[in-house]
Amino acid sequence: MKNIKKFIAVALAAVMTMGMLTACGGGSGSGGASTGGASTGGSGKGLTVAIWDTNQQAGLKEIIADFTAETGIQATIQVMDWSSYWTLLEAGATGGDMPDIFWMHSNEAVRYMAGDILLDLTDYIAKSEKLEMDKFPEDLKKMYTWKDKMYAVPKDMDTIAIWYNKKMFDEAGIPYPDGSWTWDEFYDIAVKLTKPDGSQYGFACNPSNEQDTWMNIVYSMGGTIVTADRKSGFDDPNTIKAMEFVDKCVKNVMPPASTMSESGPDVLIQSGKVAMISQGSWMVAGFKGNDFMVANCDVARLPKDATTGRSVSLYNGLGWAAAKNTKMPDEAFKLIEWFGTKEMQTKQAKLGVTMAAYEGVSDEWVNNTDKFNLKPYLDAMDDIVFRPYTYSTLAWWNPMVEELKKPWNNEESMADACANITKTMNEKIAEENY
Amino acid sequence: MHTGAYSRGVRDLTKTKWTSQERNEFIWGWIFILPTMIGLIILNIYPIFKTIYESFFKTGDFGRGNVFIGLSNYTKALADAEIWQALINTFKYAIVEVPFSIIISLVLAVLLNRKMAGRAAYRTIFFLPMVAAPAAVAMVWRWLFNSEFGLLNHIFGTKINWVSDPKIAIFSIAVIGIWSIIGYNMVLFISGLQEIPKDYYEAANIDGATGIKQFWHITCPLLSPTIFFVMITRVIGGLQVFDLIFMVIDRNNPALQKTQSLVYLFYQNSFVENNKGYGSTIVVILLIIIMIITVFQMYGQKKWVHYN
Repeated sequence: MKNIKKFIAVALAAVMTMGMLTACGGGSGSGGASTGGASTGGSGKGLTVAIWDTNQQAGLKEIIADFTAETGIQATIQVMDWSSYWTLLEAGATGGDMPDIFWMHSNEAVRYMAGDILLDLTDYIAKSEKLEMDKFPEDLKKMYTWKDKMYAVPKDMDTIAIWYNKKMFDEAGIPYPDGSWTWDEFYDIAVKLTKPDGSQYGFACNPSNEQDTWMNIVYSMGGTIVTADRKSGFDDPNTIKAMEFVDKCVKNVMPPASTMSESGPDVLIQSGKVAMISQGSWMVAGFKGNDFMVANCDVARLPKDATTGRSVSLYNGLGWAAAKNTKMPDEAFKLIEWFGTKEMQTKQAKLGVTMAAYEGVSDEWVNNTDKFNLKPYLDAMDDIVFRPYTYSTLAWWNPMVEELKKPWNNEESMADACANITKTMNEKIAEENY
Repeated sequence: MHTGAYSRGVRDLTKTKWTSQERNEFIWGWIFILPTMIGLIILNIYPIFKTIYESFFKTGDFGRGNVFIGLSNYTKALADAEIWQALINTFKYAIVEVPFSIIISLVLAVLLNRKMAGRAAYRTIFFLPMVAAPAAVAMVWRWLFNSEFGLLNHIFGTKINWVSDPKIAIFSIAVIGIWSIIGYNMVLFISGLQEIPKDYYEAANIDGATGIKQFWHITCPLLSPTIFFVMITRVIGGLQVFDLIFMVIDRNNPALQKTQSLVYLFYQNSFVENNKGYGSTIVVILLIIIMIITVFQMYGQKKWVHYN
């Protein structure tokens, strides 16, 4: 009898200890995302896929279901928000416990490629019969290539366009923009749409709306963010000219910076507070589900600059990458290959997940909804510039945004801010050693 | 004390002979605390030393290629205006949050510690914020505080930038902190109040002491061990504030510089800018500050805490 009691006690203690240990194992690396131990690479039978955009989950699930039906390989998808995604990936890379397949972004790609974290896909791609790599944009392939080795297959592409509130245009008697406008005309319209009592503003943009707003103005006015020889472009007179234009907009046609920082341009247009915002094509999936946007808003191409005649849209594209230490490298590549085929790129566009990276199939994306005219996003492809990056982009990107908060809040002139950013950027870029 | 059996076991360690009961007690004692010990070592103690260790390095990507740089991180931190500002912000937060949360919850505990209708309901209501996830709480308050569409400005008819005016944002966040914690403090105080024998109050009543007098001369002294415990834990918790700031203050927010706490800076450096060495340095500095303050509180308790 005594022995049985002892046995039970020991067993209980053992179970508790194991419980603690496994809880730790599951907890480490899953930085707040409690999707159960699914982050363990190849722990179950299937692949784990990690992404950060909820709006794309349903569509990608469908594509993965097709993949499972075709190959019999199971795969589960995990969604995190942007910042916990990178925390998890970083912790996973450090601890050697990563999802099998995940998205790469130009902010982080070099660190991961140079850090030998990603599976080298070069040979797989060379042998693949399904992938047509020449159909993907050069910049995008270059982004995910490090020392002549390819670490990711392009997933999608995004461009930028203006969203405007039709009711406000009607009310002010202004014709809807047809995409032939210049930034100066844009400014005049924004002034007309700004009411002196503060109930309505023409435009909205935060310092952190870089890729989707102010950087496009910089490039269309002939400026640059990072020069070809990897220096800051903020001392370029055209960049400064563009930033002064942005400054003029901030001071005259936008809500107070504090208001924008609390609510964000997308919330402000959705609540009828501003008439125009500039946003990326990745927001369409979300805007489609917003009644106010559907009822009141439509899309126009970004204005062009009167001097250069260019309407530049920045573009960026994610890549599908795999973990170097995945237990199922062949299966992982099969899924990456699947995502990259023309058929599935078309499906991704058709389902409205995002525009495709594959040349020519984004027409399907334009037709994914009849609620908005999405053609301006496609037209933007005529003149696109890849989102600026260096080896360690975030090291100067965040200080840049931080510095711009000062002119936004009238604490510093835009010219001074540009000078300070030039200095910080050049320092940070000089520190990069890869 | 009831630890007699255990201390006997320890004393016997020096001798070679143990009775079987003593050995059993010794072994079982360890087995019972083992799960907690392992948890503490893996989740707390090891990370503490690892953090201190890393604070002397310039860390490389993915935990590889760390370069020893001695005290450079510390000298850099001491010259960093951002860290000093964060320290001021952290103290501002704690100085508002700790006293207010203690006073309010003490008053509530006293009021709710008598027979009254709906007592359980009130206690539940005050404790509810503790049940909600801090992130959810912060999101709700963020919208209450919103200068454009927020309920607060709507009700008061004001146009105050509660969370984006650098002068007041940290105090707005402290309000959220107070609101979230009073329920928990209140439960601790209620349990402390129930330990106080009723005879004291009866005697005071006979002597004609008013309720307020009873509060100052009976409740406060006899509750002082609980107040002390709550104060120590709240000061530590207040100095570690992070989640509220992280959720409420967007990075475009002009008040960010005047609200970010030391832990927020640690998060930024370690996880956003991938500078784990410098991030570790910041938390080690915070650890030292908290230790110093706690030591002072421990000494100070002799003056006002009454253990019977």
